[in-house]
Amino acid sequence: MIKAIQASKSEKVLFVFLIALVFFTFSSFFLLKNKCLFVEKVNLNKINFTDPENVVVMNIECGDVIIELYPELSPQSVKRFKTLIENKKYDGSVFYKVAENTFVQAGDIEFGNIEYLDYSKIGSGKSGLGTLKSEIDEDFKFSEGSVGLARSTKFDTEDSEFFITLKEIPIYQGEYTPIGKVIHGLDILGKIKTGNKGVYVLRPDYINSFRIFKSN
Amino acid sequence: MKILFLIFIIFQITHINADEIYNLLKIPNLEIYKFKTDNNIRFLNSKKNFKIGVNNNISCNKSYPQNLDNKFPIIQKNINFYNSDFLNKINLRYVVLCEDLFISEINTGGIPDTEKRTLILDINFNTKYFERMIHHEIFHMIQKSHVEIFDENHFSSFNDVNFNYAECSTCSDRLNLDLYDVTNGFLTEYSKSIVSEDMAEIFSFMMTDKIKLKKLIKKDKILEKKVIFIKSAISKIDNNVL
Repeated sequence: MIKAIQASKSEKVLFVFLIALVFFTFSSFFLLKNKCLFVEKVNLNKINFTDPENVVVMNIECGDVIIELYPELSPQSVKRFKTLIENKKYDGSVFYKVAENTFVQAGDIEFGNIEYLDYSKIGSGKSGLGTLKSEIDEDFKFSEGSVGLARSTKFDTEDSEFFITLKEIPIYQGEYTPIGKVIHGLDILGKIKTGNKGVYVLRPDYINSFRIFKSN
Repeated sequence: MKILFLIFIIFQITHINADEIYNLLKIPNLEIYKFKTDNNIRFLNSKKNFKIGVNNNISCNKSYPQNLDNKFPIIQKNINFYNSDFLNKINLRYVVLCEDLFISEINTGGIPDTEKRTLILDINFNTKYFERMIHHEIFHMIQKSHVEIFDENHFSSFNDVNFNYAECSTCSDRLNLDLYDVTNGFLTEYSKSIVSEDMAEIFSFMMTDKIKLKKLIKKDKILEKKVIFIKSAISKIDNNVL
């Protein structure tokens, strides 16, 4: 006759521990893969802006980033930015230049769209609207969430590319045209894919849509 | 072939350092040394060695804090000779401080870049000529920013008709920076390399040893014409520099 073997107390504990370990391993695998999991979502319907015409909403993978524009600081640059938004030129634009926790850059309309990405020319694309004169404000400090127009090494070469700072960058003061500031969604921008040790990103994240708040 | 090219580009771009200063100046491994100055010059130092330029032909090593702290007061004193308005006009905003600066394997005191408004300075450069070298390199920025004022043919015409400059500054062996006892139109051997170096040498003495230069031009008519030329050209940019 075979006697039923009863598990000892320590065996039972070990069994429960193993089950728990398998459970945590699988759940962490699926949870960690979702980079947007802990990002706070904003309900746009619940927000009232005093100047909604100068508030823009950029939708990216992890949610909406809300930016307030500064037309009084850089009228021509903000006008250009809004024109490109209204014409949906930024939809599909990739964040091809990203420095971790430092800045993200997008807006190459010609060579930096997810549908027609050209790595050999990215960063040199034109909007077709011509270049703009730099609208530098020597006193403007690029703090966390500041939005500026990118340029080549020379001034007065701004066009469509823009960047958002993810930390205070004192050296940008007096160097770039400021166009606005992120008022919601900095954590969302922090989730944008970076380029390992490089500043350029392969298979980059991109802008799903970019709209002016009033027409959102 | 296209795939190979893409792989090459990807390999190249993933090794670029990702930081905000690199993004602005295209020089890696820099950090802010002094940001707020009276004439709005921003001083940066290299925290690691760097290589830049075509085929990485420009290299400079990290600056050690003690060397930097020793040399910085001298550098700042000399840069402070220029006001912010003048520095704007000559496209100088950033001074990068590093050690053992080389261009195409030739040791040099400084490398000016008006497009990026940057002057790279070797803080280990020979102490004897260090201060003069700063103004020499600044002159190159002045000339590059205002080419129309510095007519090289006109300047060359002051020389003896039999004199010829070399083809380029690095392709001659006229490299000595010591002041000649007898000038004969040239302050140093390096002045004889090319026109712009001749101008830069004169300007550097104007900024560092005016009294000696005054004495020298009393005995040297060619040098006197050259000094007047530089003075007049600089005054067209700013009256307060010289």
